[in-house]
Amino acid sequence: MNILIALTIIGVIAMLSEILRFRKVLYPLALTGLAAGLVLCAMEWGSNIRYFHDMMFMDNYAIAFSMVLIGTTFIWFLLNPAYLRNHEHEADYTALISFSLAGAVVMVSFADLTMLFLGIEILSIAMYIMAASNKMELRSNESGFKYFMLGAFATGFLLFGIALVYGVTGTFNLQELAGFVSANKVNLPAMFYGGLLLMIVGLAFKISAAPFHFWAPDVYEGAPTPVTAYMATVVKTAAFAAFLRLFMTCFSGIADWWAPMLAIFSAISMLAGNILAVYQKSLKRMLAYSSISHAGYMLMAIVAMNQNSDGALLLYTAAYAIGSLSIFTLLVSMTTNGNEMINSLRGFSSVNKIPAILITITMLSLAGIPPVAGFFAKYYVFLSAIESGYTWLVLVGVLSSLIGVYYYFRIIIAMFQPADRESTQIQFSNSQNAVLWLTVILSLILGFMPGFLTGSI
Amino acid sequence: MTNLIWLIPILPLLGFLINGIGNKNVPRSVSGWIASLSVLGSFIISIGAFGTLMADPNVVIKADYFEWLSAGSFTLDFGFLVDRLSIVMLLVITGVGFLIHVYSIGYMHEEEDYARYFAYLNLFVFFMLLLVLGSSYVLMFVGWEGVGLCSYLLIGFWFKNNAYNDAAKKAFIMNRIGDLGFLLGMFLIFQTFGSLEYDTVFAGARQMTFDQPVLTAITLLLFVGAMGKSAQIPLYTWLPDAMAGPTPVSALIHAATMVTAGIYMVVRSNVLYVMAPFSSEIVAFVGLLTALMAGLIGLKQNDIKKVLAYSTVSQLGFMFVALGVGDYTTALFHVVTHAFFKALLFLCAGSVIHAMGGEQDIRKMGGLKKALPVTHLTFLIGTLAIAGAPPFAGFFSKDEILAGAWTHSYLIFGILAISAILTAVYMFRLYYLTFHGEFRGSKHQQEHLHESPISMTIPLMVLAVLSTVGGFLGMPEIFHMPHFLNNFLEPVTGWADLYAHGHASHTFEYTLIGSSMVLLIVIIYLVYNKYVKDAHVPKADHLVTGFQNVLANKFYVDEFYNTFITKPLNVLSSFSYNWIEKGFIDRIVNSFGYLTNGASGVLRLVQSGHIGLYIIAMVIAVILMFVFKMII
Repeated sequence: MNILIALTIIGVIAMLSEILRFRKVLYPLALTGLAAGLVLCAMEWGSNIRYFHDMMFMDNYAIAFSMVLIGTTFIWFLLNPAYLRNHEHEADYTALISFSLAGAVVMVSFADLTMLFLGIEILSIAMYIMAASNKMELRSNESGFKYFMLGAFATGFLLFGIALVYGVTGTFNLQELAGFVSANKVNLPAMFYGGLLLMIVGLAFKISAAPFHFWAPDVYEGAPTPVTAYMATVVKTAAFAAFLRLFMTCFSGIADWWAPMLAIFSAISMLAGNILAVYQKSLKRMLAYSSISHAGYMLMAIVAMNQNSDGALLLYTAAYAIGSLSIFTLLVSMTTNGNEMINSLRGFSSVNKIPAILITITMLSLAGIPPVAGFFAKYYVFLSAIESGYTWLVLVGVLSSLIGVYYYFRIIIAMFQPADRESTQIQFSNSQNAVLWLTVILSLILGFMPGFLTGSI
Repeated sequence: MTNLIWLIPILPLLGFLINGIGNKNVPRSVSGWIASLSVLGSFIISIGAFGTLMADPNVVIKADYFEWLSAGSFTLDFGFLVDRLSIVMLLVITGVGFLIHVYSIGYMHEEEDYARYFAYLNLFVFFMLLLVLGSSYVLMFVGWEGVGLCSYLLIGFWFKNNAYNDAAKKAFIMNRIGDLGFLLGMFLIFQTFGSLEYDTVFAGARQMTFDQPVLTAITLLLFVGAMGKSAQIPLYTWLPDAMAGPTPVSALIHAATMVTAGIYMVVRSNVLYVMAPFSSEIVAFVGLLTALMAGLIGLKQNDIKKVLAYSTVSQLGFMFVALGVGDYTTALFHVVTHAFFKALLFLCAGSVIHAMGGEQDIRKMGGLKKALPVTHLTFLIGTLAIAGAPPFAGFFSKDEILAGAWTHSYLIFGILAISAILTAVYMFRLYYLTFHGEFRGSKHQQEHLHESPISMTIPLMVLAVLSTVGGFLGMPEIFHMPHFLNNFLEPVTGWADLYAHGHASHTFEYTLIGSSMVLLIVIIYLVYNKYVKDAHVPKADHLVTGFQNVLANKFYVDEFYNTFITKPLNVLSSFSYNWIEKGFIDRIVNSFGYLTNGASGVLRLVQSGHIGLYIIAMVIAVILMFVFKMII
């Protein structure tokens, strides 16, 4: 709970900094605030307190995911000093990110459907603006506009679904909802199922699972790269955590009804995301497609819906966020040069030897190769899917991750090739180097002791 | 102290990280000391733990840190176990390890890759400690593989020399064969006992009856692992080649610690081996054969390090004989004394090589005792210790092995006694050729002969003291003194001792000690006559004939392996590559690649950028969902 207040305060301070003219210290202030937030969050571990008349529930699930979200945002700040500091709108951006992070925290700790909706909207509206923040560029405008249009469309579905479910059950409260579902398991009215389907549509859009993923490549590509990094990591983690929290608490009893459908979504996401990423020449667009495929893997944890799901999802989101932050560090620097093509990476390793090795390690993690975190993330997700009997889905997952290996290795190979005329010089700032080291260390730690996360909640 | 044991492996790991990441940015004057002090820190903590364990025979320090892995009902904890067995190993590894680190500071001072060397050395100590500390076979295996890796890295430390790289690869591959046995053994243990934790496995084994086929299989497979790591027939050929590495590495890894990992593993698994008498016989037999064969080869080697390497192989054979006849504490006793005197001998050899400007051929040495007084004296102590002269360390442990062999079988005793005689012969041959007689090297070398710096001689002196008094850890019964090591290890091997054979009679012990002393004096006299008085120098390689030639060529084992294993494998490999891989598998794999690329090219057209199209696609999906879920 304290963390929510802390994040809001950071946002307010950020806005005040413009008026009171202390913008210069805003960046370190925000970093300190987030670090403090991380500590605040950790201190609530195991307290299990319900807030606001049972609107929010800070259980270990909520705290663990909040920590992943805040940690990711902290690293995100580290990797984007240039974007934030050299910009006249630094205060606005910092405020928007803080607020959207607050929304994300609400999304992982809600105990009531209204809070879920509010959390999603707090997060999304800030992101619509951020996506379009590069006002002078057409692509950024297009990105923000598309995101807003389709997002509003999907929110409509979600809200309608919540309304239908409320109509049947007469409650927004998750526990009462869960009670209602288990009491009337056999004869739930059609209106309830209709509401459930519409909620799935809304949430599937937010996690960019196929066939509701069409917005993702365009929005990811058009948005300023730092914003894309934020969407691929924090937004995705929050959306998945919310999805799993809702369905685990309320609808796990009727998983037989909805899980097969999500299994199909998961399979299509993995296949479409991976296959489409193969063709891309732009690193940014490739990452957009690969994020769809990762959504497919994470969806597997929700499909499995057993006692291992939450741990597996936590590890996966953490491993994915860590890996993405590393590759986005590279992409942010490439964007500064105005060339996002994979081929422009040729000769990268001859100038940046150590960064090339570090990025390679995190790429191996994203591709799912041991002993790095990504391998165990996939392993645990597959394991929980097998335990629930979705062997075919795991087969699809394994096969499609082979395709993933192909395009992740294209980046590695490009980095280690000799330079040619397409090559551009890439420079990393100190804090970006720190991000590369940090992500590698975290990937290795999670790779050597994945049980540390999976066993925690 | 007990809650600090996690620091024991972590300190060398930190040293590795500092030297490894900092590499050439770490000042040369600092990096050696960082490495040495980290090991010293581990040594001090180990002494603390030793104190705790001494106080009460029932105390075992066990710490489970976290759940490492879980799959279904299978969980694996990451935990350390410090009992009376592992503490002995801990003290040897960190104690001798520290001395060798200090020695390296002087020995490697001209080396360019100073930090890299110490990083590897620290990493080795880390893995070795992990191997010993683990509370399950899995953790032991992690250490087991880790030390193999470090051994590979350090043998090939001077990687610009291709022969050294080949030696490193040979060591690695030979060890992999052994590791396969170890792995299969682990799988079988898991299948049989449902766990790889020592406690569970041994408790389960105690409930079984003797001579169960599955136990025989497990113990034999584990022993294959030990053959690789501890250089026993038929997997021993890597160890002599491993001398390509820097000499302190040979002392630490290929004499004192890593190669004894196999012994440690068998002692740790003593419950299993007691239950499988057949496997124990095999262990004794292989050990015996190795002890004899390596001893014979050692007679005709002319490279100072090669002689010591074959002597190590032979001594490891002694230890395995002790294990095979059920004297687990005796084997560990010999591990400890051997660590002292063999580390000492190798470090002395390093000092000699240092003084000779890199020369390793003993035919070109001689008369070094004047120029290298400290090295000479300490080498002599080491030689006396390994030859089994009382009251030096090797005397007690070797005597105990021989006595155990006597009660088990006269044949084993006989062959082992011959091997012990061979030990004395080749060691004194080495000693006299190196330190006595006339100097046979070049004029240039003679001018540069010098005693090593103090950072090298102090470890020599400390080890010489240990080689002198180390044997008092286990006094024979006839001296009416408590056998410290036996009593200390009682909690670990007590159960196995119930099934042990009787003790040798006192008359036999007296006879053994008396006759071995007489024999030793005779040997020393004969060897002295031949190499000092008659100033005999071993002939050049191409002049050696007959059986001597067979020995000089190490029984042609390498050639045999080359012809009958390596070459057929290469032929099979090139067949598989050219026909099966290229013609068949590659084509299938490639066609999947083309398929994916094609699909990607088509599918991407759907992503046209038109927002209307996206919304229609979503709506169609929603309609399909409703049709399938609500209507049908």
